Amino acid sequence: MKLSQFIRKTTLLIGATTSALALFWAAPSHAEDKPATVRIAFSGAGTGGRPVGTGTTLAIAHQLGSIEQALKADNIKVVWNFFPGAGPATNEALASGLVDFAYHGDLPLIVGRSTGLKHKVLASLGRFGNTYFVVPADSAARNLADLKGKRIGVFKGTAGQLTLNRVLEKYGFTEKDFKVVSMNADTAKAALATKDIDGYITSPFDLEARGIAKVLFEIKRDPKITSVGTFWVTEDFEKKYPQTTQKVVTALVRATQFASEEKNRDQVFKYWAAGGSTPYSDFLKTWDGYTLKERNSPLLDDYYVASLKKAIDEAKRFKLIRRDVSTEDWLEPKYLNQALKELKLERYWDEFDTNGNIKK
Amino acid sequence: MPSSKQWLGAGLVALASSAQAAPSTEELQKQIDALQRSVEALQQQLQETRRAETTVTPPKGGDILASQTSSQPASIATKEDVDGLRSDLENYKYEQQRNRETKTALSSRALTIGGSVQARATYQDVPTRAGSTAVADDRYSSFDVPQATLNFSGSLYRDYAEGRNLDYRLAFAYAKNTPANNNSQFNVTDAYLRYSPFPTVTGLEEPKLTLTLGQQQIPFGLEAQVGEELRPVINSAQFLNGLGVGTRQIGLIVRGDYDPYVDYGFNYRAPLLEYAVGVVNGNGPNKSDDNSDKDWIARAALTLPVDYNSLFRELKLGASYYKGSKNLTRTAGGVTSVVDQGKSDRFGFDIYYNHDPFGFTYELAQGSDETLNGPDVKSRGQYLTLFYTFGEQWVKSFRGQAKYDDWWPKSYQLFTRWDQWDPNRDVAKDKTTISTGGLNVFFAETTKFQLNVSHTDYEEDNRESENQYLAQFQFGF
Repeated sequence: MKLSQFIRKTTLLIGATTSALALFWAAPSHAEDKPATVRIAFSGAGTGGRPVGTGTTLAIAHQLGSIEQALKADNIKVVWNFFPGAGPATNEALASGLVDFAYHGDLPLIVGRSTGLKHKVLASLGRFGNTYFVVPADSAARNLADLKGKRIGVFKGTAGQLTLNRVLEKYGFTEKDFKVVSMNADTAKAALATKDIDGYITSPFDLEARGIAKVLFEIKRDPKITSVGTFWVTEDFEKKYPQTTQKVVTALVRATQFASEEKNRDQVFKYWAAGGSTPYSDFLKTWDGYTLKERNSPLLDDYYVASLKKAIDEAKRFKLIRRDVSTEDWLEPKYLNQALKELKLERYWDEFDTNGNIKK
Repeated sequence: MPSSKQWLGAGLVALASSAQAAPSTEELQKQIDALQRSVEALQQQLQETRRAETTVTPPKGGDILASQTSSQPASIATKEDVDGLRSDLENYKYEQQRNRETKTALSSRALTIGGSVQARATYQDVPTRAGSTAVADDRYSSFDVPQATLNFSGSLYRDYAEGRNLDYRLAFAYAKNTPANNNSQFNVTDAYLRYSPFPTVTGLEEPKLTLTLGQQQIPFGLEAQVGEELRPVINSAQFLNGLGVGTRQIGLIVRGDYDPYVDYGFNYRAPLLEYAVGVVNGNGPNKSDDNSDKDWIARAALTLPVDYNSLFRELKLGASYYKGSKNLTRTAGGVTSVVDQGKSDRFGFDIYYNHDPFGFTYELAQGSDETLNGPDVKSRGQYLTLFYTFGEQWVKSFRGQAKYDDWWPKSYQLFTRWDQWDPNRDVAKDKTTISTGGLNVFFAETTKFQLNVSHTDYEEDNRESENQYLAQFQFGF
């Protein structure tokens, strides 16, 4: 066969194959202002790779099916992606264009923006709480100084790393004073049991009950140590589908209200415990002394903004990002404000000032 | 209604007064009534306390109401619940132990078993008899199993603290007999020990270093280092066979990297410098050295230190050098004997770029082989592959997401390759150029379908160019 004949035959074959594939992969067409699917990324997953979230109101929205209900009339499919690789995994998925909405902790959110990922902050997802630094049950350490040069576990690239750096700085240390090794929460808890790490920040009660670990020290409600969670949408999606964005945010706020009612306290903890990494009893104890409303507030209030700016400064100071991050044009509160208005919840959650106190 | 505290007080007063003198029946009855009311009051108080602990009044004004929250569970397990759980646990432990003994393959060390099988259909417009029995007629098409592999790997010593592991790998591959018959060979391909002197679990920012001793692929270029089951094109680049760099060797090879660019925000690691240095027999797998010379190999590759989200992510430049020697033989009187050793050197240059969805690879490899009589044979091979991938299988985070079922994202890869091989640059009209277009469909974790259409152009006179159509399914386990 001559080359010309070959090219002709091959072109026909490739053309036919490509056409068939194009038909196969073509997404169902929708009206211009409605996407076929909404892809939501959750930076975390249940123990053993189960697609379940924990600890945030987005996890509650998932369990309640709030967003699915809100988009049902528009025939929009909701696809949830739970990433055991946490915030860094969400960044990777976003860089590949596989995410529309997501929950992120502060550090991966900031790292993503510092490298050019485009998203708009829609709502706050969780704040405050106690911080527990645990060590193996038979550890002889009496304070952080006794752990100098020893191994501390943290999931690098996640909000946990920034929290660890804040804690270390509070006591006059940096990561360089220890061997900081990267591992996820389940691995870290196992490593405490096998004494492969000498310290870790986590809720301690289940570990204590099992005789695995003990609390070296506890930092009670310190808004300068704890971080804020964030719910965002990609710039492209928000620009293209503002109505759908509004419906998603309104559904999330509706679920957030459910997760803020004390009568639902038990149910909220049970939903979160379904993830498996933090047991129900730990939620009971770690949330003791806090109202659901204050910790689950979706507001982009002064405290949220100040926390985010502080986290950016810290990430740079701790050398966790390589370039500046601006908050200008990053926050987009109009969807949240509209949702609060629509649901008549404008004054439901208190606004907190930059220091984490209720604004008067 | 009197409060529980009032009833309790009344009961205590009644008790105290009764201690003064011998009580009458009426007084005793009063005392009993008072005590009964006290007990009822205490029960009521207990119930209220429990209710308060399990029911939290919605807070007002965002106050932090510690007293309104509780750390007590809503219900308490009974002894029967605990006994039931204990019984279930014992049953589970028994079942696990019995299944482990009777229904589980055991090994003396940590073991992972894997492998792959390829099934292929080929059509070509030039007849051939290759790969068949000694007595065969021309054919234009054939069904084949071009590859079947089985491998065992694991750790002989696992360092849980820092990951300075001693690992092993033993792999076999099926091969046809030549000329073919109804039997096949099952050859050892990989057989090595690998030690990691540097920590491997302490963080992405740590440099890597491994020492590999045994039979293994050599660190030359790009495609020669990739397992056969992972190569994008069904037929490997021509120079892999032409120069022999795709052949496994026995020896010691040190591989490592230096100054990795780490982006924890994406769990991304790109070492600025990757290097490999090694010494091998040089005469291929499954045999002892055939002379006293050893072959030396060195490779270095630079990856741009940029963010994961950069356009230049995974842009890598590499160079490889293989200094070898081979036996020069002479045949006289029907007897072939070694008369000397001659050089057999290889040099390679490669570029790799993969930024989803686009990517390309380019490799240039040259050989210089000394001959007994005559000038050195200088050969050259090069290929360029362009690919466009869509789908999520290569996005690590997406592929690893949590799912209940056996879920795996699909990916589709369109590619085109230009591959040229010149076995002797001093000889005119001996080049072979293969142009290939194709589609790879990656179904599950270990399953892919490949469709290749290739045109082979021979410069040699009187040799007709040929076209080949290949469809191949590969599955792994």
